[in-house]
Amino acid sequence: MVDLRGIDLGVNIGKLELNYPTFMGSGCYGSGEEFAPFIDLARIGAVVLKSVTRLPRLGNPTPRLVHTPAGMLNAIGLQNPGIDWYLEHEVAKFASRPCAVVGSVAGFSVDDYAYVGERLAARDEIDALEVNISCPNVASEGETFACDPNLTGKVVRAVRATTDKTLIVKLSPNVTDIASIAREAEAAGADALAVINTVRGMSIDVDRWQPRLGNVTGGLSGAAIRPIAVLAVYEVARAVKIPIVGQGGIETTSDALEFFLAGASAISIGTANFTDPQIPERIIEELAQYLRLRNLGSLAKIVGKANVGFSNPYQYEGDEG
Amino acid sequence: MATIVSSAAIHHALVLDRQELAPGIVLLGFDAPALVSVTRPGQFVMAIPPSGERAATALGIYEASGNRASVMFFVVGKRTAELAALQIGDHIKLAGPLGHGFTVENVRDAAIVAGGVGIASVLLPAQTLLRNGARVRLYYGARSAELLVDRDRFTSEGCEVLVATDDGSLGHSGYITDVLAATHEPPEMILACGPTPMLRAVARIADELNVAAQLSLEETFGCGVGGCWGCVVPLVRSSDQAPSFPPAHRNGSDVVYARVCKEGPVFWAHELRW
Repeated sequence: MVDLRGIDLGVNIGKLELNYPTFMGSGCYGSGEEFAPFIDLARIGAVVLKSVTRLPRLGNPTPRLVHTPAGMLNAIGLQNPGIDWYLEHEVAKFASRPCAVVGSVAGFSVDDYAYVGERLAARDEIDALEVNISCPNVASEGETFACDPNLTGKVVRAVRATTDKTLIVKLSPNVTDIASIAREAEAAGADALAVINTVRGMSIDVDRWQPRLGNVTGGLSGAAIRPIAVLAVYEVARAVKIPIVGQGGIETTSDALEFFLAGASAISIGTANFTDPQIPERIIEELAQYLRLRNLGSLAKIVGKANVGFSNPYQYEGDEG
Repeated sequence: MATIVSSAAIHHALVLDRQELAPGIVLLGFDAPALVSVTRPGQFVMAIPPSGERAATALGIYEASGNRASVMFFVVGKRTAELAALQIGDHIKLAGPLGHGFTVENVRDAAIVAGGVGIASVLLPAQTLLRNGARVRLYYGARSAELLVDRDRFTSEGCEVLVATDDGSLGHSGYITDVLAATHEPPEMILACGPTPMLRAVARIADELNVAAQLSLEETFGCGVGGCWGCVVPLVRSSDQAPSFPPAHRNGSDVVYARVCKEGPVFWAHELRW
């Protein structure tokens, strides 16, 4: 662990020992190399790679991105060269990253996840796996896994059986009860949970009378979804014992603190990198300042501290039910 | 086309000058010598919003000489309005230069087609071509005469300037691509930047004239640095610019989506499948 002027921002997520509690969100950060001219990658915790699938995927038709109030809608559609090509041509490049490298696995069947996860995790360049069961932008199948506790459990157990490396399971906010999915993932062997993926959304061009995205629907990210994400982290933190990587619209240190106080042990920054690639570096510096000002030596001391349950202590009879 | 060497960085640029060239069209000049020294024709910067509240904006680099780089843009929404509000003496972070620009080496006779503020991406290639002794004809179109900004600049640099306006207030009344299509002296190479319908017309004309064309595309960007795959365009996989991707299986399409911000923004017209 590295200290930042006396403050320990390090965090362990499963077997992953990170100097900083910051992940760069999958699909937002390439393989890290793309952002290296603008930020010292040694000053982030981990980069989560773009998801890879068993077979190559061209991805969704264009347009794939729409800027919306306080955020953006995307529907990339898991464009990737497939696991064979990826292992042969891409993965070796990740060895030189000065931060942890988390591979991301997506699929359309339980077997897909196990197959891709096993092969990816077998590579030394990959420090941990994120299991993306919550992509909202691939036909109907992509998100099904994260919307059904039973399927979540099957996928996580299948990948768990193939590797001892840290497994982070990425959950969808587009569910009725995220806590029940989280419990299932934990029971199936997840080491940590990434909370949340994007929120399903849509935007329509009123001149052309057409959806703005080629895929019609997309995933909403950015500040617009932050309160949704904070609540999801809060609910999941009350349901499981494994660490949470909180994400969804984090742009500032104050935003990050909301997630830690809600129960996240680490955070992930995605869309905010499109505003200013130096935001992750600024956040770790300001987190250290925040902790020093309060005479707290480590980040762990604030994790989940806002957890007051859901009850209202001041009630009349009529408030119940 | 030129290979990418990552010479990009974040430049803390001081605003040196600010002009409104026409209603809604702003030219901002910056003190950014390190940016100037590595900028190649057709590249862009991501302008990081001073408020930190919105996504960064991709802007073509208009001028780059000495200590000064400039950008030109149309104010179309909140992000460009925020940039337009910058004053002399303000600072802004510019990430760049980014992207794969124009290839102008060994071209002796070029036609440059610019539509509207697409003009912002074609001064640098025009200057390089002229410096190399090439003949450069600029085909410049806009909605009206007052939006044909800075056209005298191109004349004084040594371009032959032909113009068109939608409303007929100057030059040909109609599209600038009509003027290009009517040429009796096809150029050796066409370079173009402007709205997508104009670029499609340029691609068609280039094909008819049997001339190679390089098109600088416009697309909504996410990151602007190749990290998100949001700004893609279909490209033949055999293109030198195609991203690393396996061959199509039997009966599959031999097209791959390339990133406008990374593999582009400049692509060969004949390699696009849009």
